[in-house]
This record gives sequence, C-alpha cells and structure tokens, in this order.
Amino acid sequence: MLRVRCPAWWCIVADHRVSSDPAKSALAFESPVVCDNPASNGGGDLTLSDISSTVKWLVRAGAEGPAADLLDAQFGTSRAAAGGALVLGSRPGEWIVVGTASEVAAAVAGIDGLEEQEFCSALDWTHGRAMFRVTGASAPRMLEKVCGLDWSDHMTPDGAVVSASVALVTCDIARNDRDGVRSYLIFCDRSFGQYLFDALIDAGNEFGLSADATF
Amino acid sequence: MLLVPCPNCGPRNSTDLRYGGESHARPDPNDASPAEWRAYLYLRDNPAGWLRENWYCASGCRRWFSVERNTATNEFREPPLPGDKRGGAA
Repeated sequence: MLRVRCPAWWCIVADHRVSSDPAKSALAFESPVVCDNPASNGGGDLTLSDISSTVKWLVRAGAEGPAADLLDAQFGTSRAAAGGALVLGSRPGEWIVVGTASEVAAAVAGIDGLEEQEFCSALDWTHGRAMFRVTGASAPRMLEKVCGLDWSDHMTPDGAVVSASVALVTCDIARNDRDGVRSYLIFCDRSFGQYLFDALIDAGNEFGLSADATF
Repeated sequence: MLLVPCPNCGPRNSTDLRYGGESHARPDPNDASPAEWRAYLYLRDNPAGWLRENWYCASGCRRWFSVERNTATNEFREPPLPGDKRGGAA
C-alpha cells in the first residue's frame, strides 16, 4: 500500500495501490490526440508518435532526502531504473516515472513508508498528461522552431531533462535516444495535447515528418 | 531578447519567466507599523540602475528566485545559486 501524502494539506489524502492496469481508474484510457491523417508518411526520417497511454507517475518530495536517494535522478537528468522504468528528474524535488505499469510500480514501490521521514506524494499522471515521442536526426531542428532552448549535444546530451515552453505550452522534455538516433519525449497537460501535437506536425512538415497517433 | 539567469535552469528567455517585482524583505508582522506595511505593499524604489527583483521560472523549474538587474541596461549580476533564498533590503 502506497500512502500518498499531500504536501499542501499536510495530511494523507488517499491510499493508492500500484496496480498492473495502465491507468488505475475504471475509465478506459482515451488519447487526447486525434490525428486526421494517422501514420501519414512525410518522406523524411522524422517521426512523431502519440504515446500518451504510457503509464506516468509524478513523485514530489524534498530535493535532497530519502525519496531523492531512492529515485536517484538529479534535476535535469534521467536514468533507467532497475525494473526498466525511466526516471526523469524534471524539477528540483520532482520526478516523472514512465514505463509499463509493472515497471513504474517497481520504481515507485520503494516510496512506500518514506512518508514517515519526509513529506512526499506520488500521483498517477497517466490520464492527465499527453506524451509524445519525436525521433529522427532532424528532431533538434524541428524543436528549435518551437522552443528556445539549445538542443546541441553539449547542452542537452542523451538523458538530459528540461522544462520549457514548446509552442507556448509548458512542457517537460527528455532526450531519450533510440539506437543512436535522436529521440525526445515531450510531456504536456492533457488539455494542450491536441494543440501541441498539431503544432509539432506544423513544425516538422518541412523535415518530412510522419505522424502516428494510433496508440 | 532578455536572458534571465535562473539558478536551476540557467539562462532563459524572459518569456519563459514571470516578473515578480522588486524584492523587499517582508516586515515582521509582530512589530511592523502600518507605515511599514504600506511601504512594503505599495511603495517601489523604481531606480534607473541596479535593483534586486523577484522572478518566477514558470516554464522551467517553477521556482522563485531573486537576482540583481540593472534596469537601465538589462544587465544581470550575482546570479543566484540553487537554494539561494536572499531577498532585498527592507
């Protein structure tokens, strides 16, 4: 049993059980994105995929404490946990854990009991956040059109995690290369998902972007 | 473009941040006079020169920080370090 403590109210607000279901709610997951032309082939090496159904958990705790030691991903970095989940240090004292349900469950299970030592919270974000993957050598060029950060290797190497405005939407972005090919995970609030998906398609069209919203 | 030195995220475009105004130390509510409260709430120095001010990194780390900016040249100095809680003079 993972007891979730709300830092704002200084009380335990819910008991969460990390289940094997992608989203623990009885509601079936519904992607925030509708692609008018799914799996269209733009002819280039750049792909944009809607992977919003990926299980996502948000953990908040002290930037230095038992939870930080357990998750072991400093702000601005990411790491693959032993169980296979990807742990992103998205902000000081804030982590996003993504993966399959069992992988995420394994990564956050150790937080159970830490509330006796510090205030921490763990929330299932699967329904609340849109998540996209942009892959291809042209991905940095595409991101430069909609985001003001430096996407060169020395500023954002593989594993880097940043938060920034992408097409005027506040996003968490993690560089997560696939087989040596540039790849970025982009998270935003669910309600902005459709807009951001369309904005990324607009930005990537000149690079021959293929969009895939079949998940 | 105004680059603001966030202690956590590094230099960021000011459009990624929110301006929080001049940074003044909050008076002690136990012994502050009405005049001190009024000055804290409503009065601003507004100099043409160096000023310590608050910024909120809205699109990045979502943390408040204070930094000194020259309001005449938009130059920043003494970029704060992570965890720096300095405020301005009362």
